[in-house]
Amino acid sequence: MESTRAELQDFEEVVRLYWQGIYRFVRASVRDADAAQTLTQDCFMRAYSKRGTFRGQASVKTWLMKIAVNLVRDFGRNRRLQFWKRLNASGIDPGDVSDHLPDAAISLEDRALLNEQVQMIWQASRSLPERQRTAFLLRFVEDMDLLEIAAATGMKEGTVKIHLFRALHAIRGRLRGLR
Amino acid sequence: MRAHLSSEQISRWMAGDCTPEADRHLRECPRCAAETARLKTLLGEFRSSVIARSALEKGAEAPERWAPLAPKRRFTSGALRWKLAAAALAIAVIVPICKNSGERRRDAEAFQADVQLWEAVNAQVSRSVPMPLEPLMKLVIWEPDAVEK
Repeated sequence: MESTRAELQDFEEVVRLYWQGIYRFVRASVRDADAAQTLTQDCFMRAYSKRGTFRGQASVKTWLMKIAVNLVRDFGRNRRLQFWKRLNASGIDPGDVSDHLPDAAISLEDRALLNEQVQMIWQASRSLPERQRTAFLLRFVEDMDLLEIAAATGMKEGTVKIHLFRALHAIRGRLRGLR
Repeated sequence: MRAHLSSEQISRWMAGDCTPEADRHLRECPRCAAETARLKTLLGEFRSSVIARSALEKGAEAPERWAPLAPKRRFTSGALRWKLAAAALAIAVIVPICKNSGERRRDAEAFQADVQLWEAVNAQVSRSVPMPLEPLMKLVIWEPDAVEK
């Protein structure tokens, strides 16, 4: 616990270590590069100003992610930004995501199918309700376990499981439609 | 072997809701094991692609130097805080006093003006003849005895 708290002493190092992960989660949640950058900055600003209250019960990453989840939630609720958000909704092109698939030794046909499926997951995650999407991204992009997700979202572990199940079920339903 | 896991059971298992029965079934059933493995691979590819894509964006780069906005200045000195509190108290006490003394001065001046006006009115009312006729009255020698004679 003490070592976790001590990690916050060098805040520049904290920023260096966790910036990309926080940005990635925020970016996938809000689908807007400028807003994601601003929210990531806000996340670290908030963490910096509240670092004295950090008890070290969770990891620094989980703590930062909790702040990011709240910021994303507030962003979604901010009606003033809704119009702007819709305007920029096409900020990330799902095609861009599948273009960055790692080069594995797979056939062109398989690769095309994989691209299509990844695009479909991206699009399906986009239409998920906020809590399901958050749980899904934290689990399958940020690779956090159920307890970490529960700590970051303020949900109970059982509730996290339910949201994950619903998210996966919806996404698998979309993937089945692709076949 | 029992029937294959339903789509819902596979989703539950992937969500971390693992039952001993489902675990056992996945160990024994190549088809269900292949389906969960395919799903894991697909989600892994999704993860890799999101990471690769966002890493290329400008916003993903951590700032070279972390420079938080200067925190709002707070009074750290206890002495300074006490001085400011004393000054506020002094202002709170002195302002009403000054205000009262000014009001008292204005009341006194108004009273003086009233007295002067009263005296002037009194002088006018107590005249034997109106002020414009007074020069004429000086020409007339008023001798009551002579009138009686």
